[in-house]
Amino acid sequence: MDIYGLVSGPLVWVALVVFGLGLIYQARQFLADTKIQEVVRPPASVLGKVELPKTLSLADISNSFFGVHPVMAVVTTIFHVFLIMLPIFLLGHNVLLEESTGFSLFVFPEMVADVLTLLVILGGVFFLLRRVLVRRVRAITSLYDFIILAIVVAPFITGYMATQQWLDYDTILILHILAGELMLMAIPFTKLKHGLLLFLYRYLMNYEHCLGSGTRVWSYNQAK
Amino acid sequence: MSDQEKRAVDRAEISKMLEKKAPEMKRILNYCVHCSICAESCFLYMSHDGDPQYMPSYKVINSLGKLYKKNGNVDHEFLEGIKGMVWNNCVLCHRCYCPIGIDIPRMIDFTRSICRSQDVFPKLDEGESWL
Repeated sequence: MDIYGLVSGPLVWVALVVFGLGLIYQARQFLADTKIQEVVRPPASVLGKVELPKTLSLADISNSFFGVHPVMAVVTTIFHVFLIMLPIFLLGHNVLLEESTGFSLFVFPEMVADVLTLLVILGGVFFLLRRVLVRRVRAITSLYDFIILAIVVAPFITGYMATQQWLDYDTILILHILAGELMLMAIPFTKLKHGLLLFLYRYLMNYEHCLGSGTRVWSYNQAK
Repeated sequence: MSDQEKRAVDRAEISKMLEKKAPEMKRILNYCVHCSICAESCFLYMSHDGDPQYMPSYKVINSLGKLYKKNGNVDHEFLEGIKGMVWNNCVLCHRCYCPIGIDIPRMIDFTRSICRSQDVFPKLDEGESWL
């Protein structure tokens, strides 16, 4: 088996298994480290009398993330949405998917995919510049943050280079596949796991900014 | 040098406290993406012209984060150093907002508990200012 056969065959499955099992492990650990605790809420007779505003006011928006950091909010939303959607709905990936499984998904037109790839790469450049130039971000930035950013953006840069056939196509393609596999395997075991855990923390944990039921609290029974 | 400064740190006790809450604290420290979005939700950060020292994540990373990195092997001077960070630079108002769901005040609160266990806290009755 040649290198291309290896990275586009068995290694893809290894990456997907590590990614899937890793996320399951993280979710299980979260459930093991937390427990359900009954939350004391005001009785229905009191809650029924509370009238919550039905529409968003201008103050709500200006105090929200989009109001305080409009540029960051727009860039991070575009970056995160297409970071996830692009690889799933890309023509090239779906051709391979159809070859190996017999089915494929909706795909972005190639021109649109190219533009979206550039947007993700520009988002990465924005985050990089922010880390270097903005004082408060620089104050908490470590080498690890740059490595994580590189792991995330590398598949998109190499993917765009492969599409445009820049440099040696075969080499870039292999690098692209390896970068993608590295990113998939890194997600459950690095800060990238926030893609999964943010939903668990923000919707299930009982704290000030909880968005959901907030019925879970940390359990310290595992202490040795 | 006062008696408090001479006091030796009970590292075993600090390690025990860190270990007890490790499932939550260690995980959360490794989970923070260092985005700094929490900054503007802190009124102390806003009222100090955006000084990063008042940023909620900065306070946690440089107090509890270092305690975990050193596995509790710290001296009295270190605890005195982070005292200002977790008392003077934070009032535990619980308004700090983390987009990925980190409960920052719990971590500051825990760091205060560790300091307090070693008799490190603002001595208000000795004229030390809290704010």
